[in-house]
Amino acid sequence: MVKIKYLLAGVLMVIIGIVLATIVFPSEEKRVKKRFHLLSEWVSKSPEEGSLTMLQKMKDIGTLFLEPCELKSPNESLSGNYTRQEISAYAGSARSHFSHLHLKLYDLHVAFPEKEVAKVNLTARLIGKSKAGERVDEIRELDCLLKKMDRKWFFSQIEVIEILKK
Amino acid sequence: MFLIRVFLVSLFAYLFFGFLCIPFTIQGISMEPTYPDGGVNFCWRLRYLFSEPKRHEVVAVRFAGSRVMLLKRVVAREGEQVEFRAGRLYVNGKEIEEPYVRFPCNWNLPTRRVEKDCVYVVGDNRSMPIEGHHFGQTSRVRIIGAPLW
Repeated sequence: MVKIKYLLAGVLMVIIGIVLATIVFPSEEKRVKKRFHLLSEWVSKSPEEGSLTMLQKMKDIGTLFLEPCELKSPNESLSGNYTRQEISAYAGSARSHFSHLHLKLYDLHVAFPEKEVAKVNLTARLIGKSKAGERVDEIRELDCLLKKMDRKWFFSQIEVIEILKK
Repeated sequence: MFLIRVFLVSLFAYLFFGFLCIPFTIQGISMEPTYPDGGVNFCWRLRYLFSEPKRHEVVAVRFAGSRVMLLKRVVAREGEQVEFRAGRLYVNGKEIEEPYVRFPCNWNLPTRRVEKDCVYVVGDNRSMPIEGHHFGQTSRVRIIGAPLW
């Protein structure tokens, strides 16, 4: 009986150890996904958002990207290289047109084709309402390339995949 | 024994509704009036396992995974030429009857050929300007099934 008690305690300690290790030392995949969650959090906007929060979020969005970050889009006018300041400015300008905005990310598939390079394929959905009252619901599939620098992952390339070609 | 039964039923439900018959809610008006906004349906993944999508069939087009899909109608298959003239659909120069299109449409789209391994899909609701409707040709591999009803 005593032996079983020790065995159970041992198993429990191993489980707790594994859980703690995953929390304290997250895998690279989790670190990459965390960057996407931050992007989603900072792009999203609640109707009660104040100016200070807005400015902070604008600044924060830029910190997720490498300089320059390349955007590839079927819409040629949007394609090109962007600096952090440009990304922050564009994000701020775009967010200002909406009373509320929510960026949802689905089906994130993370792969590591090279050391310190992550390729992520995902579905991004932007739901919101413009200040003019127009409902926005845009869905895109994205291929993102992230690079690791100073133990942090940064977006270096975002490609918008064309699902339906007119 | 009871727990085993509960486990097996749960496992079956997870596999069936997670991979074979995926429940979804319709969000958007692009397939109205056939599929109204807010409706509930299931995506039957085995629908095109041994067959190819045919014209007039409604299909589910996937994005990166199966959590977000587009519900569209196939209007042309690979090698066919598609065009819209004054809101009417023409395939290989012949006008196609579309009883499911109920709202007025005035689209004009020059002729284009559907590429290899692709199908051309459009929503039933074409009452909006052509620029505001998400349609076009998509790869066959992106079609992951069809709605159950």
